[in-house]
Amino acid sequence: MNDSMSIPHLIMNASLVVQLVMLLLLAASVASWIVIFQRGFALRRAEKAYRDFEDRFWSGVDLNELYRELPAEQESLGAEHVFRSGFREFNRLMAKTQSTEAVLEGVQRGQRVALSREEDRLQLHLTFLATVASASPYIGLFGTVWGIMGSFQSLSMAQQATLSTVAPWIAEALVATAMGLFAAIPAVIFYNRLSAHATRLLGKYENFAEEFHAILHRNLQGRSERAAS
Amino acid sequence: MAKRERRVGYGWPTLLAIGVHVAALLLTIIKWPASEPEPTSSSVVQATLVRAETATDQPQQTEESAPAASQAEEETPDEPPAPDTNEEAPSEPDETSVPEVSDTAVEQARAEAQRLQEEAERAAQARAEAEAERQRQQEEAERRAEAERQRQQEEAERQAEAERQRQQEEAERQAEAERKRQQEEAERQAEAERKRQQEEAEAARQRELAERAAQANASSLESMISEEQQSIANAEQAREAANGFKNLVRRYVEQSWNLPPSASRQLRAIVRIQLLPTGELVGATITQSSGDAAFDRSVINAVERAAPFREMSELDASVQRQFREFNLDFNPEDIR
Repeated sequence: MNDSMSIPHLIMNASLVVQLVMLLLLAASVASWIVIFQRGFALRRAEKAYRDFEDRFWSGVDLNELYRELPAEQESLGAEHVFRSGFREFNRLMAKTQSTEAVLEGVQRGQRVALSREEDRLQLHLTFLATVASASPYIGLFGTVWGIMGSFQSLSMAQQATLSTVAPWIAEALVATAMGLFAAIPAVIFYNRLSAHATRLLGKYENFAEEFHAILHRNLQGRSERAAS
Repeated sequence: MAKRERRVGYGWPTLLAIGVHVAALLLTIIKWPASEPEPTSSSVVQATLVRAETATDQPQQTEESAPAASQAEEETPDEPPAPDTNEEAPSEPDETSVPEVSDTAVEQARAEAQRLQEEAERAAQARAEAEAERQRQQEEAERRAEAERQRQQEEAERQAEAERQRQQEEAERQAEAERKRQQEEAERQAEAERKRQQEEAEAARQRELAERAAQANASSLESMISEEQQSIANAEQAREAANGFKNLVRRYVEQSWNLPPSASRQLRAIVRIQLLPTGELVGATITQSSGDAAFDRSVINAVERAAPFREMSELDASVQRQFREFNLDFNPEDIR
């Protein structure tokens, strides 16, 4: 491979439109990698935090104590958030009503809201990855088609149509497609991986919410029977 | 509890992402060790040198006899121009013409061979000198290291000095012998190389001599004594024709030329031929018509049939450029 066909040289010599396309693709690639790393770290930490919280929850600690230990509403994340909003709703309603159904319904609503917030937080920016994954091959293809159009236009001016007059143009144009694929492939792979991770974590939160709900239900049931007797 | 840690910032991910891209870019920039073309050995270089110089010599010779040569070409265009006239060399040489002809030929050949030999000798000498220089540097480094080691040893172990001295001397002697052997070998190699080149030059000279003599014989058989000068020029011209790509093309075209019945001897057409570097024909156009459309057409047909001229790709790039577009003129006399 001689020097004039090296990739940086090809990029430098490409036409303006193709260069813009390449720049766009480069930006998309960098941004998608930022999202990949940020989400990867965030999900791993969320999973670890969930495991810690679950251990604490099932260690037999008093729920009121646990509630008091946890930080304020805005700070809590994940399963803690679900627990906090459910328990707060439970405490408030217990003071106001004797109806078991009303209390449990309030708890459920609070947990649903918390879960929906958590879902939103876990899947933050993942749609961006999906967009990069699906759009960047097309953007790259556009650059290639544009470059090849240019090469054929210049070919029509040339006296002799040999392969060596066309080859640099086509190689330049193909760099755009290569960059599109370079941006798209990691985005596809990590989108699948990260969204599966987020869904799994969300499933765990939901299970936890159901379990917590069952505990409160059992608690209320015992109390109402005691009150009746 | 580690609540603060759970919020992941964008600083590290940004750095990592940029790192990934820089690494990818470096991978494309780094020149992986590729199998580089071996530097052509000096003997090959010299071989091309020899040919280039004979090529530059020939135009001078032909220029001297240019008018005669052109005449000769018109008169005897079918004479095989390649050096394979050797086989066709007649068995009975013409006694009257041989001595003089071969004299000039021999003189030329000898001068040329002399020059070649000198060149080869110079090159061999230069190589031997470079070799000796390298050898000397190596020796010096070796000697310095040896002295250093010796001094340290003397300081460290005084009681075993005598014994070690002896060993060192022996080692030195061995190293000396080794060095000498290497030097001798290098010299022998250089000598052998020089001898080989001399032999080559000699062989080339002989061959040329034989060729020239044979050619001179052949032409002198055909021509009269008065045409001796012309016949030498003719032979030279023929040799150049073998070298010249243009004449090659002309020969190919003439081989595949079907003359129309209407063609007369006075017709003459100049064709412009455009070629690709591979020898493929791009186009052939008549630049100066003969006035006879059928004749012109037959010339164009012949060029198209004779293409491609694969010899084009064997030419040097500089020569190739010269033949990307060139004119050839055709005349029915050429092939009769």
